[in-house]
Amino acid sequence: MADTKEESRIGVFICHCGTNIAGSLSIEDVKKYAETLDGVVVADDYQYMCSTPGQSKIIDAIKEHNLNGVVVAACSPRLHEPTFRTATEEGGLNKFRFEMANIRDQNSWVHMHDWEGATEKAKDQVLIAVAKCRMLEDLQPKSVPVEHAALVLGAGIGGMQAALDLASAGIKTYLVEKLPTVGGRMSQLDKTFPTLDCSQCILTPKMVDVGRHPNIELRTYTEVEKVEGYIGNFTITLRKKARGVLDPTEAEARGYVGGGCNGCGDCAEVCPVIKPNPFEMGMAPRKAIYIYHAQVMPLLYTIDFDSCVKCGLCVDACGPEKRAIDLESVDTFEEIKVGTCILAIGYDYIPIEEKREWGYKQFDNVITGLEFERLICASGPTTGHLIRPSDGQTPMKVGFVLCAGSRDNTGGVAKPYCSRFCCMYCLKHAHQIMEKIPGAVPYLFYMDIRAFGKMYEEFYYRVQSEGAKFIRGRVANILEDPTTKNLTVYTEDTLLGRPVAMEMDMVVLAAAVQPKADAEKIRQMFGVSKSQDGWLLEAHPKLNPCGTTTAGIYLAGVCQGPKDIPDTVAQAEGAASAASIPIHTGEVQLEPYFAQCNEEICAGCGMCLNQCPYGALALVEKNGRTVMEVTEAKCKGCGTCGGFCPGGAIKMQHFTSPQICAQIDAFLLKGEDY
Amino acid sequence: MANVKDYGNAELEEKLSDTSYYTTDSNPQFLEDVKKISRTAANMCFQCGTCTGSCPSAPRSSYRIRLFMRRGVLGLEKEALNDPDLWLCTTCYSCTDRCPRGLAPTDVIMAMRNLAFKVDIVPRNFLKTVQLIYKTGHGVPNNDVNRAARVKLGLPADPPTTHSYPEFIPGIQKIMDFYGMKDKADRILAEESK
Repeated sequence: MADTKEESRIGVFICHCGTNIAGSLSIEDVKKYAETLDGVVVADDYQYMCSTPGQSKIIDAIKEHNLNGVVVAACSPRLHEPTFRTATEEGGLNKFRFEMANIRDQNSWVHMHDWEGATEKAKDQVLIAVAKCRMLEDLQPKSVPVEHAALVLGAGIGGMQAALDLASAGIKTYLVEKLPTVGGRMSQLDKTFPTLDCSQCILTPKMVDVGRHPNIELRTYTEVEKVEGYIGNFTITLRKKARGVLDPTEAEARGYVGGGCNGCGDCAEVCPVIKPNPFEMGMAPRKAIYIYHAQVMPLLYTIDFDSCVKCGLCVDACGPEKRAIDLESVDTFEEIKVGTCILAIGYDYIPIEEKREWGYKQFDNVITGLEFERLICASGPTTGHLIRPSDGQTPMKVGFVLCAGSRDNTGGVAKPYCSRFCCMYCLKHAHQIMEKIPGAVPYLFYMDIRAFGKMYEEFYYRVQSEGAKFIRGRVANILEDPTTKNLTVYTEDTLLGRPVAMEMDMVVLAAAVQPKADAEKIRQMFGVSKSQDGWLLEAHPKLNPCGTTTAGIYLAGVCQGPKDIPDTVAQAEGAASAASIPIHTGEVQLEPYFAQCNEEICAGCGMCLNQCPYGALALVEKNGRTVMEVTEAKCKGCGTCGGFCPGGAIKMQHFTSPQICAQIDAFLLKGEDY
Repeated sequence: MANVKDYGNAELEEKLSDTSYYTTDSNPQFLEDVKKISRTAANMCFQCGTCTGSCPSAPRSSYRIRLFMRRGVLGLEKEALNDPDLWLCTTCYSCTDRCPRGLAPTDVIMAMRNLAFKVDIVPRNFLKTVQLIYKTGHGVPNNDVNRAARVKLGLPADPPTTHSYPEFIPGIQKIMDFYGMKDKADRILAEESK
């Protein structure tokens, strides 16, 4: 034990955190108390301990007082443990001779109005930290090499941008997409706000780029099956779903030289099975062998084996030269090794039909924003002619229901958060209507217009100047005239203070967005947390928005929270940069919180092997005895084996039983002896 | 308080009176009382208008439920309690069904009516209703026209309520007496007719 070998010489440093801590408890009392503790030779305080002068206090005190332990009472270790460890190291100590007492998040913030109580609690927290600090030992972090490759999951605009950045930085990048084509949601859009760029025109070049970049290994129609390993050394199993169609490389591998799918479409022409095309929101047909749209990447047909009747007509149409169709194809698996991963898995819309008052799926002419995109899009099912689904007529009065299910605390399908891009796409839709249909008037029913981005407010101004009508009132309900199929929108014009009953030809619901249905499964595979609203949780909302609390896993795009295309691309580039750092560094340091086996005590029972969630333990023969051995790089220091071992042979470094017992004793006995 | 200028002309004074909202117009306790009685987070209204848009009374009257929610948030007690529109809510609860913040505007209105009643601000028809319930157990008692219609339809002339079982009227009176409703209604109506 550390305390039997050397006399403890501990410095305690208390941070004011401005008034975050100092405003709720007595720093002076805590400091005086710390000075009385066994082993403490110096106690000090400062307004911002994490700043340069604050860290200098620690560094100087270590040298001046010959300290062998440092305690900082401040914020959360999650925020500043690395900061103070660095200072400890700079002072000449092993950086694991540092212990932190969280007197902000766990004290001053929660006991803001209890000065006496908070002060007493802070004393206890310092007492406990000092008790552990007395027993800390020097530890050496373990360096492991990093695989020179990365995974990007999801090939929407965020995933594609991240993959292009990583690949252009010289990193082999696996871009995995579960659909048959890359492009994601953005490929369904007609134009993009506020510049009104054609979405396809700015997206398709990127789609082509990811297809031909020498460092990108594109895996479409593929899902992640299993994730193993840790930062630097992930082993990921991919499931390549049965596509039924061979690309030229696959065809060549089977000996069909010059064969494989060339995207001619002869197969789809003869296919007798007709299904709704989900890319067109079900408003256009596709065959059982299909491509989503003409600009898909890769240009490769896919068989939907759920609806294929295996009649074989497509095989005949494809012909003996190409031989691209294999009706008996099955899922295949591939194992890849990567150093870091970026999740860019996107979003879904809420089932807005469950908000019955707005009549989606009850009334023909109530559509969603994404359906509007397809109807106004030149390559959509109507070649860009906006029509009423009920009768094919051109709508002259179109209502937009903003915040349809967003900013709604009533539960069910509704979401309490702002979906962040609906205001702007409704403004864009309003512009498109006025541009395409002379005399048509869009009515936007809104609570607030949140035009927060660069040139967004100016776009709002432009759309209003073009003649769009803005009615400040959330839509209460919509009723349909069963004869004309026109819709009456009920709300209050809150600025006039009058109830509104306006007849519309068509109503567009700006439905709230929500995480993908499979986000939960993916999150658990990669060990990423989620926030209370279900989106994937970033490591820090301000200072680490691309990282996660799992080292080596990064986030890009809406899967982390609603955001528009510019923000998604920005985050994707940030995530790519963050994910490239460990790869370019070539090695990562792992926290030395490994389990250690005391081979003299270990009975070799092997029961710990089944407990370990990471497969880090094994039984080996040593000096004629069977004992357990830890693969340190795989061990995450969770402590499951250490808590379980019936013989007490497993020591958890930095969280040893004596250290934890000392903390408990310190709290319960308040420094008295047994 | 609003600035008062003496024009020496009542009509002009009314026309040019200062309608600004002053911080002193607000009684924060009013919001607290409304929250306590209504058991809804009345302070959380964000004025979206879904309530008035759902209201069957609003298109046919000057009643604006959202306006009362606003007065509650700001603590505009006098403005809320003195507005006769307070009594136009039919308590259908459509607004409560649809409020995106999960509030119960209907219950806010009921709370404000309770507070108004405490300071004797009640429309005459409500007071007469109190008297009628006290006397007959019915807000709208049976009458000869109704009786004839009922008989014509083959029903007993009086329904199986306190009209047929007047022995239950004292129980109703006991409840109303507990809250002093009848005495208060009598007193206010008597003062008005003076």
